[in-house]
Amino acid sequence: MNLKISALSYVQEVQNGNISAEDFTAATLEHIHNIDEKLHAFLSVNDNAINQARDIDKKIKSGKKVGACFGMPISIKDNMCIKDSKTTCASKMLENFVAPYDATVISKLKEQDAIFIGKANMDEFAMGLTTEFSAYGPSKNPWNVDYTPGGSSGGSAVSVSAFECVASLGSDTGGSVRNPASFCSTVGYKPTYGLISRYGLISYANSIEQIGPVTRTVKDTAFLLNMITGLDPNDNTTVDNKNEDYLLGIDSGVEGKKIGIIKEMMAEGTDPAVVSATNDAISKLEGLGAICEEVSLDMVKYSVAAYYTITATEAGSNLARYDNLRYGYDFSLEGYEFNSYIQKARKNFGPEVTRRMIIGGFVPSAGHAGKYFLKALKVKSKLTKEINDAFKKYDLLIAPTVPILPFKLGEKIDDPVALFLVDINTVTANLTGKPAISVPFAVSNGLPIGIQLLADSNNDKILLQAANALEQTVKLPEVPI
Amino acid sequence: MVTEEEIEKVAKLMKIEVDDHKEYVDKVHAMIDYFDILDSAGVEDEEIFMQEIPITALREDKHIPFDEKLIEKLNHYKGTYVRAPKMS
Repeated sequence: MNLKISALSYVQEVQNGNISAEDFTAATLEHIHNIDEKLHAFLSVNDNAINQARDIDKKIKSGKKVGACFGMPISIKDNMCIKDSKTTCASKMLENFVAPYDATVISKLKEQDAIFIGKANMDEFAMGLTTEFSAYGPSKNPWNVDYTPGGSSGGSAVSVSAFECVASLGSDTGGSVRNPASFCSTVGYKPTYGLISRYGLISYANSIEQIGPVTRTVKDTAFLLNMITGLDPNDNTTVDNKNEDYLLGIDSGVEGKKIGIIKEMMAEGTDPAVVSATNDAISKLEGLGAICEEVSLDMVKYSVAAYYTITATEAGSNLARYDNLRYGYDFSLEGYEFNSYIQKARKNFGPEVTRRMIIGGFVPSAGHAGKYFLKALKVKSKLTKEINDAFKKYDLLIAPTVPILPFKLGEKIDDPVALFLVDINTVTANLTGKPAISVPFAVSNGLPIGIQLLADSNNDKILLQAANALEQTVKLPEVPI
Repeated sequence: MVTEEEIEKVAKLMKIEVDDHKEYVDKVHAMIDYFDILDSAGVEDEEIFMQEIPITALREDKHIPFDEKLIEKLNHYKGTYVRAPKMS
């Protein structure tokens, strides 16, 4: 069984009767069983997947209407609710939390006969960019298991890269889909803010986070977007995309498109291999008829500080609900006073979440809000103006997804500011609500490099067309597993 | 410059017990110090962009019943009330 096929190829193979959903699912589960002890992409695996696949095969054989996924195994980051399944957010705090409802993306994929093969590992409450902050231990990069796969949707990217599923859903608050996609050589997509419902996504920083696909090809991302986007009455921030078909016209290319190269995202400190790969990507796009020139977004220098200030503030508020009364680690009420009880419950948060909660209490507090939180919001406003101005002149923007190559597990975990700076090229899309994609483009000394493209809000289709064109210009080595 | 006392005070207000000074206070200190870069952004006169959503764009203010007795999923409840420890 070839587990390396794309989502679109999988659908075609099942439709043509060349493979069955049951056989593919069985082979996928066996592969997970053989490899995941080494990679740790999953926090839990769906024991009922084979039965679900068998039911879908029966529907196909009996000529009943079958959803567009045809039993495709998909992994789901463990911060999205699947009814009657554990959703831990990779936290001890939610170790025993069983979701009472489906997230909107899950309902939509269920309608299309997707199979949720397992819940993917992540940094606790999506706070981190290496998966080292998972309470259940880090995921490993399939390209080299001594290296981080990136994060926070590290398990999603590992599971797609190592053929443990066909596609995955992650969530991207400051690069959490694109960063691991870049580090594991997969496609990672952060849509326009509001394109995908966040209902059932456990909240971290509501004003900027989005669910996004992790896939093997750009076309697979478009295929998933066709199923999971659109208005949702349960999420008032969703936008009406008029049932856009993202696959239609995806081969349109980039001829005549104007692309701005973001100067501040190729600044001093960017790894020479990453600079070289980005320049190569620019040349390839020019070869396809795009016009590329440098553009400056001055506020990028301050974007990481603004990002962490805003996200910590929202996280401080969101995480206040984990008091062991409505959610959380269970222990008896007896013998405790209210405050000491909650204090004890909060000891079940890991160190990074605890730190961000403290920051989230500090930066918006009376006496400090003017220096930190309000200034961060002003940087966000100015950055949005700058990028809107850029999009008056350019159809797309380009930069490396991450300015450095994947690094070793443990290398930066004790240096929070060094970790901050890994996010420098990805947070802009979140702070401004713009869509962005990481396309696998190069491998340097056995480590992947992704190239990031950005487009204006609601121009997701143009972005996917350009990403698809860029993807076609390279043939990358296979992941050495 | 933020002081350690300020960080410890906020942690206490957020009901977080700081028992490992190096892990929490020192690292939080380093993180907040990095945010001082915002002082050089020159955005003092910038207006904060707020997205206004008209009330007509909100969904109807109507109770939508959940299909299960959600409260029964809690470990500590009595009738329709969540049980909590006593407040001093």
